[in-house]
Amino acid sequence: MTEGLRTEEFQVNMGPHHPSTHGVCRFILTMDGEVIVRAEPVIGYLHRSLEKICENRTYAQCIPVMDRFEYCTSMSCNEVFSLAVEKMAGIEVPEYAEYLRVIMLELNRIASHMIWYGTTALDLGAITPFLYSFREREDILDMFEMTCGQRLTYNYIRIGGVSRDIPPEFIPKCKEFLATVDHKIDDYERMLTENPIFMVRNKDVGNLSPELAIAYGVSGPSLRASGVKYDLRRDDPYSIYDRFKFDIPICHNGDCYDRYVIRIKEMRESAKIVRQAIEQIVDVEPNTGKMVKANFKPAKGEVYSRIENSRGEMGVYVQSTGDTKKPLRVKMRGGSFNQLQVMPELVKGVKIADVVAIMASLDIILPEVDR
Amino acid sequence: MTFEELTTYLTEKFGDKLELLETGKFEPFFLIKKENLVEICEAVKTDDKLLMDFLCNIGAVDTGEKFEIVYNLASIKKHIRFDLKLVMEYKGAEVDSVMSVWIGANWFEREIWELYGININNHPNLKRFLLPDEWDQGHPMLKNWDAPDFKRMPEVE
Repeated sequence: MTEGLRTEEFQVNMGPHHPSTHGVCRFILTMDGEVIVRAEPVIGYLHRSLEKICENRTYAQCIPVMDRFEYCTSMSCNEVFSLAVEKMAGIEVPEYAEYLRVIMLELNRIASHMIWYGTTALDLGAITPFLYSFREREDILDMFEMTCGQRLTYNYIRIGGVSRDIPPEFIPKCKEFLATVDHKIDDYERMLTENPIFMVRNKDVGNLSPELAIAYGVSGPSLRASGVKYDLRRDDPYSIYDRFKFDIPICHNGDCYDRYVIRIKEMRESAKIVRQAIEQIVDVEPNTGKMVKANFKPAKGEVYSRIENSRGEMGVYVQSTGDTKKPLRVKMRGGSFNQLQVMPELVKGVKIADVVAIMASLDIILPEVDR
Repeated sequence: MTFEELTTYLTEKFGDKLELLETGKFEPFFLIKKENLVEICEAVKTDDKLLMDFLCNIGAVDTGEKFEIVYNLASIKKHIRFDLKLVMEYKGAEVDSVMSVWIGANWFEREIWELYGININNHPNLKRFLLPDEWDQGHPMLKNWDAPDFKRMPEVE
């Protein structure tokens, strides 16, 4: 019967409104039966031209724009831009403000990994983990809200310091959170880590070799899952990360499961850092730093500053002419941009359901890709 | 490697092909020539003392007079970071692709081609991706380009 039957490749459009693409990303998949032959990501649905907007704003006005760059970890976006401008202008940030920054950055990292944990499970068909992780994320957002009034786009870390001191109820609330967070992460692990369905969906799926990862510029947890021990908090230190003791977890297979394990471990390490920072901050004289004025002009120069974000290396290139109040150029670089670039290599020869698992494990978020 | 060691090492290795910029006082920024780009990139990637295997970012700049392209490089094994910079005239702006050195340059270069109109030689896939497919209003990141409904914010004093 099969004689004379024609077989040919066909195309499947996945997205832009597919629930697992975390934003609006479209894949044009060329299929041979159920197996993917080629994949082409189509992006740009969320392009807001933030870089052009920054060119028309003063340095202080750029910070809220940076918030929208990667809204799951707005603190990092504020920090990376502030670091660049502080370097150019030679601004010293007071120790107290540095501590506050580290506390916020690490809490934000935990919150971001909690979103990742929930949505990964959701993408793979499990709803319960999402409800659990969003419960704890809520605690973190409450802490941010009591500090800066915002839950998502904080505009908290400013050039020269932070916008305001933490309220007196912050530290007790944070201690309460830290006391339970490890048990909560144990709960998360109980739901997924040795779950047979989760393991089958993730083990040996989307193997990313260290060579390929480096060549494509993959960074952060996805790079460390491939066995490359590279963390900017340790290897290109910024702020006051050299004062804290923490481990950099690595795995060696580079599959989706390893990327899961790494992020779970990272949440615990971030909690460790916050614990140490909260202990040390009581001995520091409260000083949130002097924020720059609207007519602030840094010296002529250019800087590329980078920090370790929850999705990899987040960088920003700023060039100043020295005679205007506005940056000549702001170029943003997010980890997801490179992670999405490597996707076509990873999805070759897998089935459609695995695309969802791979994309979830790389923790791609589209506003960071499209800017 | 410290700032001085790196500068000395690179200047000795490449001689007049490379020049430390005055704007690089915060971080080493080296000016190179367009025709040496791929050669220098290949050399810094394979050099035992540098091993610049990680391409952080490529960004183009429109200074209002000229185009600049900045390559931010890092080494994962040696923990070094420095930047290379090209300067070129508007007219006939083009640059060779560095995809043969770091394959991840692909999308960065596509973006430069799309938003600045700088042509990338030897690039396999120069297609629009950030702007809509039917876009016909030029290159939005140029300094003389404003959106049709754009109103400039009042200057702050």
